Amino acid sequence: MRLIIRDGPEEVGRYVGNYIAKRINDFKPTAEKPFVLGLPTGSSPIPTYKHLIGLVNKGELSFKNVITFNMDEYVGLPRDHSESYHTFMFREFFSYIDIDPNNVHILDGNAPDLVAECAAYEATIKAQGGIELFLGGIGEDGHIAFNEPGSSLSSRTRIKTLAYDTILANSRFFGGDLSKVPRMALTVGVATVLDAREVVVVVTGQRKSVALSKAIEEGVNHLTTLSALQLHPWALIAVDEDATAELHVKTVKYFKSLERVQEEVERNKANLNENASSVD
Amino acid sequence: MDLLCFTNCFLPQEDGSLVRRDLWVDSAHGCILDAQKTFYTIRKRPTQLIDLGSNILSPGFLDIQINGAYGFDFSIYSDDQSYLAGLEMISKRIVETGVTRLTQERSVYPKLLSLLSPHSFLHSASLLGWHAEGPFLQQVKRGAHAQPLLLSAPKGIASIEEVYGPENLAPGGPGVRMITAAPELQGIMESIHHLSDRGVIFSIGHSIASSKIATEAVLRGARLITHLFNAMPQLHHRDPAIIGLLGAGGPYSTRPVPVTPHSPRNSAVALDERVTPPQTPVLDPTYGSVHRGRRGQKGMLLAEGDEFERPFYGIIVDGIHSHPNSVRLAYTAHPEGCILVTDAMSFLDPHLPNGPHEWRDGRRIVKEGDKIFLEGTDTLAGSIITLDACVRNFSLFTSTPLSCAIRCATYNPAKCLGIENKKGTLRPGADADLVVLDRNDGTVLSTWVAGKMVWSRK
Repeated sequence: MRLIIRDGPEEVGRYVGNYIAKRINDFKPTAEKPFVLGLPTGSSPIPTYKHLIGLVNKGELSFKNVITFNMDEYVGLPRDHSESYHTFMFREFFSYIDIDPNNVHILDGNAPDLVAECAAYEATIKAQGGIELFLGGIGEDGHIAFNEPGSSLSSRTRIKTLAYDTILANSRFFGGDLSKVPRMALTVGVATVLDAREVVVVVTGQRKSVALSKAIEEGVNHLTTLSALQLHPWALIAVDEDATAELHVKTVKYFKSLERVQEEVERNKANLNENASSVD
Repeated sequence: MDLLCFTNCFLPQEDGSLVRRDLWVDSAHGCILDAQKTFYTIRKRPTQLIDLGSNILSPGFLDIQINGAYGFDFSIYSDDQSYLAGLEMISKRIVETGVTRLTQERSVYPKLLSLLSPHSFLHSASLLGWHAEGPFLQQVKRGAHAQPLLLSAPKGIASIEEVYGPENLAPGGPGVRMITAAPELQGIMESIHHLSDRGVIFSIGHSIASSKIATEAVLRGARLITHLFNAMPQLHHRDPAIIGLLGAGGPYSTRPVPVTPHSPRNSAVALDERVTPPQTPVLDPTYGSVHRGRRGQKGMLLAEGDEFERPFYGIIVDGIHSHPNSVRLAYTAHPEGCILVTDAMSFLDPHLPNGPHEWRDGRRIVKEGDKIFLEGTDTLAGSIITLDACVRNFSLFTSTPLSCAIRCATYNPAKCLGIENKKGTLRPGADADLVVLDRNDGTVLSTWVAGKMVWSRK
């Protein structure tokens, strides 16, 4: 697992945005071979979305052949409610990029049969050849998607009852009115995320620092579902300085040094390639 | 489906605010789309992107009181053909002032009205119906209206029908949408509810009604005041008369407004720092129940059954027919009711040069900026201001952002006419009548009717 540390949320957004853009462009997606991207909602990915929108506007990136799957959606909240994740994704991202609406997948929290909806979602992901890159954020308790503490680490897309803390935290989006916060959500499971060929998680702000520490400095534990990422072969966590507040100094230094070494290796490799091509 | 996306623009909202957002329009059907629904349900996205360069995209302006323009006078009739040609000419040209909907006004009636249903000409503003100003006007406040034509209505609604023709007052039918009349005249007060039942807006104007009469007219269904401050008694503190309606709240209130300390019942405990959140859930038992709004929240207390709604008011913001301070006073008192009108005469034409011009009966008028005088006098010969200029003036006079002024020329008049789902708004499903305004100075850059551009600044 790589940990990338940047100064603030904007720098993290720029890094992750550039990273995803490079992955998509290197993949050279076509209609027959689209790039399948998993997407989160919440405040942490917004700078990343902003940066991606900028790249699309500059013509450096296109979502024409990108298929997206969102992580989660509330149950029973109308699709056009201002707090639904359909609304969030349209407002913050989809309305600005050149994605084909037919390539957008978000769980339907108003489906008559929620269990079938979840099963169909998993099947659709599989039919698209699995997710190439899953972008994620975390909650203050270290949950990824709505996989709150205690979620099975081998869970799949399913209905989840929200933790009381999450209802409290989300009430700020519902005029401070607890009674208006949905009690259930549909969410991809931890295993669904881990199935992706690559996972990139954005963690910013001091409020997430305890969760970050538990997820990467301690063992795999279902009380911090992000920690399951330790089992993933290709994972990247991008954080800002604030989010490292609870990490050991040693951990921070270790990952920073790792990035330096990596940069050096890449530089050398680029030089070698250059020399090799000049010899030709 | 032919979808347009206006991007890089500011949209004035119904509450007078301005938000930066895209607007999706179906130009084939000429309506505004719910972008999110189009994306997720119909699964389409716009094929054409229109970059407005950070300017304002407003609903098209509505002028609910205009007598003529560009040399054509709605109240002068020679024959059907030339009259319709005149209407079409105005509809085509007035879009340069951002106006996409008009209610014309006239003073002499019935045979004309029958041929003048709401009209819509291609690539032009459309006509919503007629605003009949008179002949039920108060003699002493008749203004420019000819005295011998003025009437009262001794037989109530029957007298009114006689003048306009019953078919022109039919509910939902074409013809008269608004009537300006003096409620103190014989037979008028009793007719107000008949008119409002048929969907005709009753507007108080050219009247000397006292506070009592004016209030009663509103309780009986009057929805509008015609050109506020003009042709009505001036504000007197003991009897503020028609103007005083702007300050009306609960004329029949029986109890003082109770004081309720601010304590949202369902607020999250976690947000209240003085209270420690409980470890176990204390969820509200009312979860999922429907919260009903309370009545009379605006600080006015009404006795049981009395619903007093302050009327809208038309106001001519040319700086001449009402002083800037008066405009500000009225707007401060009742911002939701403010409607900008031009009440313009046939000399309305931004291209008309200053100086003397021929008028009727061999007389001449002199144009001087936004004023026109009878030649050789200082008598005002009516208003020639354009509605877009009113919007800019209003913003200056009241020190409010352009978006508030825009509301008074779009949403407020539409709401007064009860057509706010279709006109004067950017709601999904509304007609795509739009005007692009310069964000800094409010000049009209282009005008769109039914999703198609009909005029643009060269």
